[in-house]
Amino acid sequence: MAIVEPGKRPGPRIERSRVFSKKFTRGKKTGYASLMLTSLVDMFTIIVIFLLMNFSANGEVLYMSKDIKLPDAYHGAQLERAPVISVSGDAVTFDGRQVAATEDLVKGDALNVPELEDALRDERRRYETIHAQDLDHSFRGLVNVQADRKIPFKVIKRIMFACNQSGFGNINFAALAKEGEGPRKVALK
Amino acid sequence: MAGAAPQPHTKSGKKALDAEINLVPFIDLLSCCISFLLITAVWTQIAGLQISSSGGPPEPQQKQEQTVDLKLLLTEKGYQLTMPGAALEIPKVASATGALAFDRKTLADKLRTLKGGLPDQSAITVQPEDAIAYDDLVSTVDICLGEQLRNVTVAPLN
Repeated sequence: MAIVEPGKRPGPRIERSRVFSKKFTRGKKTGYASLMLTSLVDMFTIIVIFLLMNFSANGEVLYMSKDIKLPDAYHGAQLERAPVISVSGDAVTFDGRQVAATEDLVKGDALNVPELEDALRDERRRYETIHAQDLDHSFRGLVNVQADRKIPFKVIKRIMFACNQSGFGNINFAALAKEGEGPRKVALK
Repeated sequence: MAGAAPQPHTKSGKKALDAEINLVPFIDLLSCCISFLLITAVWTQIAGLQISSSGGPPEPQQKQEQTVDLKLLLTEKGYQLTMPGAALEIPKVASATGALAFDRKTLADKLRTLKGGLPDQSAITVQPEDAIAYDDLVSTVDICLGEQLRNVTVAPLN
């Protein structure tokens, strides 16, 4: 008896049939699988549209820190790029470098903060030197104050005083922009 | 490959109308776009509340006829809205957590009513006590800006 490969074998009648004989043909399967790229392209397109809608050309104006939880604001305007004074529970920093301890500002009775004033004056001098010939960008005294929501006004008051003493009269309080409750956008002066 | 896989010639020998679109460069472009947008995405939107402080350099202000010297005091008891000849107390109310909080809704209503009577009024001086938190100060300034009182001055109470 002939040796045959195990498996299903059709009967002679089915083997002759045009319709049913195809089930038993043992052709080699191709090694390539076709990928459905349409859904992938759809998904990519949706992601690109979503990201484009969230795109902001201004970039990060503030240094976001874990120690500083900003309050919410519904009627704020877009922040402009300016020197940043950050006030956390531990330290007061100006453009990333510490100038005072928050605890000292809470305790003290005097209004002035000499280290911060010096830093602000240096910044003003630097800006005026750089833009000496640039009349379109004259010094406006713009400064952004970014403080934790629990910081008492006593600290903010002293920082505002230091800003005024150094010629930074345009103070912007930073807050998290929230939508809802019928926000009306206010343009900065 | 991607797209429709048309037969180049039909049985009758005519050219097929379908054309194959090569999706690979399109996918490459989309991948680059997604990478770039993800890297440059800003997830937290920061708002700025512009204020002027009482000790700062004087800003040029337009002379307005029907305005009053409006002051809003933030004390431990609540808001106190004062103007020449009148004063209004808005005490703190119990919040959802049970703690006393500033009654922001009532303040917004009162400022709206006041703005209705004095449409030219755009200046207000916010005077918080030393112990008032930055959160309360910002939300108060935010309410003032929302009620079209755009010249907000922050000054210490004492």
